[in-house]
Amino acid sequence: MDLKQLKKDAEIGISLIKNTSNLEKWRIKYLGRKSALSLFFNSLSKLSLKEKKEQGQKANAIRQLFSSLYKKKKNDLESNLSFSSNFIDITQPGEKIHQGHLHPLTSTLNDITNSFQKMGFSIIEGPEIETEYYNFDALNIPAGHPAREMWDTLWVKLEAKNEKSKMLLRTHTSPVQVRFMETNQPPFRIIVPGKCFRYEATDASHEIQFHQIEGLMVGENISLSNFKAIIEEVVKDIFKQKVLIRFRPSYFPFVAPGVEVDIKIKPKTKNQKSKINNEWLEIMGAGMVHPDLFKRAGYSTNRWQGFAFGLGIERIAMIKYHIDDIRLFFSPDVRFLEQF
Amino acid sequence: MKFSYNWLKDLLKFKESPEKLADILTMYFAETTVKYYGKRPVLDVELLSNQVAEASGHLGLARETGAILGKIFIYPKINLKEKNLAAKDLLDIKIKSSNCNCYLARVIQGIKIKESPKWLKDALADCGVRSINNIVDAANYVMLETGQPLHTFDFDKICSKSTDINKKEIIIRQAKKNEKITTLEDEVYDLNEDIMVIADNESSLSLAGIKGGKKSGISTNTTNIILESANFNGVNIRSSSKKLGLRTDASWRFEHNLPLDLTGYAVDRLAQLIQEVAGGNILKGKVGQDIFKEKKELIPIKWENWEKFLGWSIKKKEIIYYLSLLGFSLQQKKDYILVSPPCFRNDVKIKEDVMGEVARLYGIDKVDSVMPQEVLTIPLHNEFFEFRKQVKDWLKGYNLEEVYNYSFISEQDKNILPNEWQQKLIEIENPTSALTKYLRPTLLVNFLKNINYNFRFVDKIRFFEIGKSYFKDKKNLKEFFVLSGTLAQKEKSNNLSILLYEAKGIIEDLFNKFGIDKDNYGFKSLENTEYSLLLEQGTAIYKNKDLIGVIGNPKKGLLKEYDCEGSSVFWEIKLLPLLEIVKEEREFQPLPKYPAIIRDISFIISQNILVDKILNVIQEASPLNLEDVDLFDVYIGKNLKSGTKSLSFHLTFRSKGHTLKNEEVDKEMEKVYKGLKNIGAEIR
Repeated sequence: MDLKQLKKDAEIGISLIKNTSNLEKWRIKYLGRKSALSLFFNSLSKLSLKEKKEQGQKANAIRQLFSSLYKKKKNDLESNLSFSSNFIDITQPGEKIHQGHLHPLTSTLNDITNSFQKMGFSIIEGPEIETEYYNFDALNIPAGHPAREMWDTLWVKLEAKNEKSKMLLRTHTSPVQVRFMETNQPPFRIIVPGKCFRYEATDASHEIQFHQIEGLMVGENISLSNFKAIIEEVVKDIFKQKVLIRFRPSYFPFVAPGVEVDIKIKPKTKNQKSKINNEWLEIMGAGMVHPDLFKRAGYSTNRWQGFAFGLGIERIAMIKYHIDDIRLFFSPDVRFLEQF
Repeated sequence: MKFSYNWLKDLLKFKESPEKLADILTMYFAETTVKYYGKRPVLDVELLSNQVAEASGHLGLARETGAILGKIFIYPKINLKEKNLAAKDLLDIKIKSSNCNCYLARVIQGIKIKESPKWLKDALADCGVRSINNIVDAANYVMLETGQPLHTFDFDKICSKSTDINKKEIIIRQAKKNEKITTLEDEVYDLNEDIMVIADNESSLSLAGIKGGKKSGISTNTTNIILESANFNGVNIRSSSKKLGLRTDASWRFEHNLPLDLTGYAVDRLAQLIQEVAGGNILKGKVGQDIFKEKKELIPIKWENWEKFLGWSIKKKEIIYYLSLLGFSLQQKKDYILVSPPCFRNDVKIKEDVMGEVARLYGIDKVDSVMPQEVLTIPLHNEFFEFRKQVKDWLKGYNLEEVYNYSFISEQDKNILPNEWQQKLIEIENPTSALTKYLRPTLLVNFLKNINYNFRFVDKIRFFEIGKSYFKDKKNLKEFFVLSGTLAQKEKSNNLSILLYEAKGIIEDLFNKFGIDKDNYGFKSLENTEYSLLLEQGTAIYKNKDLIGVIGNPKKGLLKEYDCEGSSVFWEIKLLPLLEIVKEEREFQPLPKYPAIIRDISFIISQNILVDKILNVIQEASPLNLEDVDLFDVYIGKNLKSGTKSLSFHLTFRSKGHTLKNEEVDKEMEKVYKGLKNIGAEIR
């Protein structure tokens, strides 16, 4: 007998049923004493032991399916009739709804961009494969400058060697500062999220790829004090808990002066012994935009001034979620992904 | 960089503990931590690239620390006991290379090589330098003290001048083609014209600014020595040391363009120290020349600029106080202040640097935070960024996990890809390993690795990623955002179409959410797309004539290569063209006034006739008032002739003008039946 066809027929049949009397007819047809399934069970006794077992199991599964279809349909029909009298155990867990998860870097990026957008910063993007000019020269880091050491670079192999237009994977989002200023006039405030790359041996705190958010705010009176205020406000908004911030001197050739920003998070409980608690952690390099960049963009350096910064997204995510190994972000593992 | 706390304390006489001093340096100078060698504290200062020239010696750091603590530190004066014999009578210096800004030498006769005294050894050990003998140690000590690299030659091992047998000659020149040098460690280096050497009449003696040569090195028998102190062009030293693959403490220092005033000071200081630890007679005078004069910067800064730039009102008195502590010379005028940085601060060039220095000593952390007073503006809407964000949010709702993969694929991955794909790959010139040799041309490769990895923990995988893929297109380097995803299960299914249809359903629903009308895109065969080399069953999504994406089952061969057998489906859609379609706005449809009649139709037909064709036939039968056609069941299997399938559709009829009667619909259904029978359908 064709159990598959029987199953199909029964399924179609029950799906069309709209009332209890028809359901009863269906029950008799498919589960009743004279149903095809019952007859099939009766006929099993004639088979060999092995066949009996095999066929019996199959038929049993179908019988179970039919019973459950019947119960479900009966419930459905009855609940339509007398929902109020139906017994509900509200302490029973609800139906499990399956949802995917956004990657922690996406959530962190969203948090940060939202904070800046609230303060009027526009989102701008730029290419990941960049020219040497935008990544270095235009940022006051010509070939031979010792500060190039700060950006170990992955270079793109070009077929025709053309020294003048060497291509690389951008080592920071800063080239977009130059690209943006070439075609826009101040005042403005922008942020530039994006993927960056470094020639780096990977370990728990170093990766060959990472994400940054570049910031650039230029106006007639945008000062160092303004930079501090904006960053303090954003950090508060991102972490939504008490965070200590400190600003200290630093150096990048495309800013003058340069600033480094560190944060420290108080452990919520004494037992939290993560590395990131109670220690100053670098989250961004920043500074006042070097007038050379304004000159290159054709701005009047006497009129315009402003600040720029580069914020590490992985770093923020690691602090936020207490993740101690940066490599977890780029080695998709369901056990990690499902936690966010 | 390591600095001895005790050495610094001897120079500056401060009270701060090592830890306190490290905190102060971190907040006002550069990040500093304390380490201990036994009981001797050592400060590890992470000098910033612009601070190396000024403060890579203990004297420089003492001067910096002094400025922070409010003390002016002056370099100790050096008094030498010189003999009457003039060094210039025994030695000539000839500078032939423009990469040498200054070269000064002294001669000492009758020294005695021996072990260094304990205080000297300790000081070197604190800074991580190994003790060798008193002469080499003295040169290293003075380098750590002043920041100026120094070198000593054995006077007697240097050739005499060709014109004067009684005189030695040191020549600073670019190396000759095919010239070689053997260093103190017996390493042989091939040189070329880009590399500067210190030489005598016959051959090179050392790699200028990088490493000493074997020929004129100090040995235990040395009695007469030449002390070298020089200033070299940083860019040249950096490129030479890169070319030679030889980086030394000296080359690193020279790369940062040391201040010129150090050259003479350091050679005098070395002569003094050598006499102290090795005896000998210092000949009178320095030999050599400055050929490069540093020009003095004069930077005018308007008084009103200070508050405008820094953001808080700073008093003239404070400005003058901090700049004086840092050794700047100042001239106050009515409207502005004229600032001249000291020669050891060649990193200060523009007014922003000067104002930054004042902010630094004031304490950047203490600066008031003030919100900017700017015109209120709503930020520009970045459509593409917001679009990608929305796509992610919706994909999450389909029970898909978002992943971030590497932008790279490996050499091995390359070899697995078909030729057509290999040719498009962008190669990295200096990959960190074979694993990061190429940029990914599709996200499929890394997804296959993800499947393999995650099958260790779960039986089913549902991943998506929005990221860039990269490829070469006629020498142009291209990168564009794609939305890719995979559904995979460990269990082998005979019916690969289940996952494929789910993926297609996800994409169709996603498009629908964005209001993309089916008229704006279409599914066609994978054939003739490059993806047909990677996927076997599947479909290509077109917008007009442009391929914007694919959905399909990865080829069995690929699954095997990545050891992720089972069933899986993959999709990849270019996001920018998709956004173009979305931009056309969604329009509201008025709610229907009259009820619909739904008819089901079920028929058996050859498997070769695709659903697409059947839908066309139904449309072409042009039944009146047909609102929607919906496939709700497909059956292939027993009870059906092989090569046939059973299809069931809901047909929804609705009139805009009246309530439809059954007879009206019957008439229209006849047209449909007829059309279907014409293509061989057997109506059930």
